[in-house]
Amino acid sequence: MQRIVSLTDTRAQEFRTNDVHNRLLAAELRERQQAARFARPERDLERLRRQNKMFVRDRIQALLDPGTPFLELSTLAGNKAYDNEVPGAAQVVGIGIVSGREVIVHADDASVKGGAWYPLSVKKIVRALDVAIENRLPVVHLCDSAGGFLPLQAEFFADRYYAGRIFRNQSILSKMGVPQVAVVMGHCTAGGAYVPALSDYNIIVRGTGAIFLAGPPLVKAATGEEVSVEELGGADMHTSVSGTGDYFASSEMHALAIARDIVARFNRIPKAAVDHVAPEQPAYDPSELYGIIPKDPRVQFDMREIVARLADGSRFHEYQPRYGQTLVCGFARLHGYQIGILANNGVLFSDSALKGAHFIQLCDKNRTPLLFLQNITGFMVGRDYERRGITKDGAKLIMAVAGAAVPKFTVVCNGSYGAGTYGMSGRAFDPRFMFTWPQSQISVMGAEQAAGVLTDIKAKQLARNGERLSEPQLAAIREPILEDYRERSSAYYATSELWDDGILDPVDTRNALAIALSAALNAPIEAPHYGVFRM
Amino acid sequence: MAAISFPFETVLIANRGEIAVRIIGSLRKLGLRAAIVYHEVDAATPAVALADVAFKISGRTPVSAYLDAEQIVTAARTVGAGALHPGYGFLSENAGFARAVAAAGIAFIGPSPEAIELMGDKIRARNFVEGNGFPVAPSAIEESDPPTFLARARSIGVPLLVKPSAGGGGKGMRIVRDLDLLEDAVAQARSEGQRYFGDGRLYIERYVEKPRHIEVQVLGDAFGNVVHLFERECSVQRRFQKIIEETPSPALSPQMRQRICETAAGIARAAGYRNAGTVEFIFGGGEFYFLEMNTRLQVEHPVTEMITGVDLVAEQIAIAANRPLSFRQPDISAQGHAIEARLYAESPERGFLPTSGKVLMLDYPHEQGVRVDSGIAQGQSITTAFDPMLAKVIVHAPTRDAAVAKAIRAVQKVVLLGCETNAAFLARVLGDAGFRSGEVHTGYLDENPTIASGIDGDPDEVTGLLAVAALVTRPVRDAADAVPALHAAIGDWRN
Amino acid sequence: MFHKFDLGGVMHELWLAPTVNGYYLRILDGWSGPVAFAEESTGRGSLTVAGTSEAVAFAVDGDVIHIHMRGRTRSLRYVDPLRALASVDGDDGHNVARAPMPGTVVALKVVPGDAVTAGTVLVVIESMKLETQIRASQDGIVERLHVKDGDSFDRDAILVTLSQGN
Repeated sequence: MQRIVSLTDTRAQEFRTNDVHNRLLAAELRERQQAARFARPERDLERLRRQNKMFVRDRIQALLDPGTPFLELSTLAGNKAYDNEVPGAAQVVGIGIVSGREVIVHADDASVKGGAWYPLSVKKIVRALDVAIENRLPVVHLCDSAGGFLPLQAEFFADRYYAGRIFRNQSILSKMGVPQVAVVMGHCTAGGAYVPALSDYNIIVRGTGAIFLAGPPLVKAATGEEVSVEELGGADMHTSVSGTGDYFASSEMHALAIARDIVARFNRIPKAAVDHVAPEQPAYDPSELYGIIPKDPRVQFDMREIVARLADGSRFHEYQPRYGQTLVCGFARLHGYQIGILANNGVLFSDSALKGAHFIQLCDKNRTPLLFLQNITGFMVGRDYERRGITKDGAKLIMAVAGAAVPKFTVVCNGSYGAGTYGMSGRAFDPRFMFTWPQSQISVMGAEQAAGVLTDIKAKQLARNGERLSEPQLAAIREPILEDYRERSSAYYATSELWDDGILDPVDTRNALAIALSAALNAPIEAPHYGVFRM
Repeated sequence: MAAISFPFETVLIANRGEIAVRIIGSLRKLGLRAAIVYHEVDAATPAVALADVAFKISGRTPVSAYLDAEQIVTAARTVGAGALHPGYGFLSENAGFARAVAAAGIAFIGPSPEAIELMGDKIRARNFVEGNGFPVAPSAIEESDPPTFLARARSIGVPLLVKPSAGGGGKGMRIVRDLDLLEDAVAQARSEGQRYFGDGRLYIERYVEKPRHIEVQVLGDAFGNVVHLFERECSVQRRFQKIIEETPSPALSPQMRQRICETAAGIARAAGYRNAGTVEFIFGGGEFYFLEMNTRLQVEHPVTEMITGVDLVAEQIAIAANRPLSFRQPDISAQGHAIEARLYAESPERGFLPTSGKVLMLDYPHEQGVRVDSGIAQGQSITTAFDPMLAKVIVHAPTRDAAVAKAIRAVQKVVLLGCETNAAFLARVLGDAGFRSGEVHTGYLDENPTIASGIDGDPDEVTGLLAVAALVTRPVRDAADAVPALHAAIGDWRN
Repeated sequence: MFHKFDLGGVMHELWLAPTVNGYYLRILDGWSGPVAFAEESTGRGSLTVAGTSEAVAFAVDGDVIHIHMRGRTRSLRYVDPLRALASVDGDDGHNVARAPMPGTVVALKVVPGDAVTAGTVLVVIESMKLETQIRASQDGIVERLHVKDGDSFDRDAILVTLSQGN
């Protein structure tokens, strides 16, 4: 495989400008993540200490094998919701190594609103379990929640993918033979009681852990019965009388030690076989990514420069290099694993769409996982393109993306708009993991374009009634739309809504993808199989 | 030694551990049959395995079995032993036992019962030695005039040493440096004498500050020939228990050496002493005083053997067989320097706490000039049933400095895993500047407590130990082996 | 959660990680680096720490590792986290032995004041023509016997109360 020869001039003014800008964005990301992870009112931390509870991240640290990475997903969930008072949506989710096994860690963060489940918390948990199902990853639940945030119940209770989906997912995991361990470190009340109950194994911590369908106040209200937390659902009762609890732990650390010992029992089956060689660092320094990603999101850049900083040895075997040049396709290795990369160098035309659909099938047949690097405004429009079948060629690309059986991974490097989002394996197309970069944008069309279209429609509406709008009036209509689009197409908004699995510092992308890929290989790769390609 | 015939074929060893193994060694050399008595707890010891015949004895406690004269004499008869070697400790200085053995028609390999009795009674022994014109420390014997005992003691002047007259091995002894504390010391020593030896009689003598413990090996045959085999210095002690012994003593000029050795021989001659014995002196400030005589083979006899080339146990057996000594005083010469370090099952770092455990691995140094007298074997369990001495590491070299260096290397090469020992402490004592300079005295270890407690392990050593432990402990190894290569390579990373 | 070893009463925490051609040792608040141990014969091997090798003799006895290196013998004890963390005292301080099924007492094996270790047989019971030994679940001191020879009892009845030992 040939090494990409970078054409980037690291001493050019443009490089330096980009570098400063992107480093600032990376620093901002780090600060916001740090705040979401650790900044808590002192009284909440004090309360935890009084309750003899460990901070959630200390629990996770003690659970994981030392010296191993933890890929946290959706750290900034909820950062644009609930007045930013529910950092991380009060949940910590990630992929870590416990007793040598890749597991999903799902932990309630009791330092945030007592670990209550907000709508986005439920979405994050469902997503965590979906990841577990798709990748056949065992799950360790660290349960410590105040229960559902009742004022918003209409947004997390009744619908198909709301809270019930958590328990459905747990049941399906068990049916699949993928084990779960629940460590009850706080109250598991009402729905929350089902997390340990539906886990194959559970551990209850003496004194602080409890499981009950209704706590003492509700029981008193319902039947008049007066009973203590301990008696109603404490560790002793559940591990010796009801059999709901499997292991009695005298402390949180003890519980975590037991959890590790349980995970150490899990059978390890051979992972999906993907071509693999010894890993190699990229020949180009990944930090050069800061200088390559343009400060102005409308400026085009060559995706090969990105690939050169992600791939092992910066080596890349390009497929159909002279055809469909707005979609770069080719093979590379990531930490030794062979992958197929599709990356945008401009809008999608028929030829690039066809090339992409073909390449996806090649990779699928070859059992080569796919990495989509998005920087796409959409498909080409216009009469000639329609006559040449751009719509059906785009459909073929989407059909290929949707049908691919190999694991798919998506990184939104810059823009992600319109059908391009779909053709490049957006969220709806079940990439096993989807990440974004801090300056990325995602919406049905660009803010300017959308504002223009909507203003136009409004103006035409009013013109039918004989009204004509002045410049300032047009601006008054356009500005709020622009504002709203900009706000709701930012990486921070997208991640807040859990439209992706997290924003990455570009230089972290290699490690994140390697961990994600390794996790994905725990599920078998089905045989290639597609719908009808409109020819 | 020229091949000689013995009036007996079988010798019963009424002892255990390293001395039993030692005696068997000499018996083999002489073509004699070795029989041994043993208690159940010693069934797996090398002495029992090496003996030609092993006779099981029993007792309320293991020690009591080896103190059961009747059982032992019966055993000797049963195995047809014509002679009996009592080793050291146990019944070796019990005149009654010596008599019972003789009465059974078995040769007791040791001195006469009378000599044992004379020297066993500290007061009688002291009087005897003084009466024969040999130097003793100024003292006051209670018995001679109980009412004036304390006054006579006071007139000796401090410092004083209060001792039970039936005592030995340091028990019940007290140093008095302030006459106001004399009466209390007397009361305590008396009660201890009663408790340990069944005899509350006391005597008080001048205590020599920074005394050095010098003892002389003597041998006497049945024909009146008594020789000395030079001295041994045993000043490195703790609670009057010896830890390191050497010969020659670095404290003695050739003239002083000759004087002390000839005095010892003279005492033994005057007592008509037969077989092996050791005369102990206190030496300090250019003076020496008779302390006591041990009427048995001593633990530290190997250093004498190393410098003289004489097999003391073989000589003992020959003497018991009524052979005359095959050499006279001028025939005995000393070459080089020998040091013995006693390996104990104890932890000096933790206040000399007795230790126990199963010997999982045992390996001693094997090299020129290093001899290890050991009574334990790999696989054996060390218990607190007996005295904690496990083995003796003895080295010989042309000079004292060379011997010290060799001794340090030797104890460092002792590998005994499973039961904590004082090996590291021995190395520290041998390496201590005070010891190396030869300026030791019996209080030296007490004055330098850091030698016992040791210095905290240097971080480098701790790292090495943790590394080995981590790599040989299954849960640690298995946990490491379980981590996937990718994650191990990425390491402690967070996005 | 790090591995714990007790060396002379001092607890050391460490983690061993695999590397491409061996292992990497990380001692908490201590040294980190590549290590290797090659066992040459039973109980004898060569330890390599950051490139420097030295001879080692070792013997493993359960959780205790005896090591002789650099002329000294030291012993370390591997502290099993499950065991160590389980015995952390709570406010309770009491521990009871209950009857797993109804039956009668065949023999009492302890008296109040006895110090017992986990696994010591406390009571022998008979039920459904089967004799069962009821053992102490953890170390402690027998505080009270609630039954005597020949007594009948129900399932879950408390047979013996123990208090935490030291």
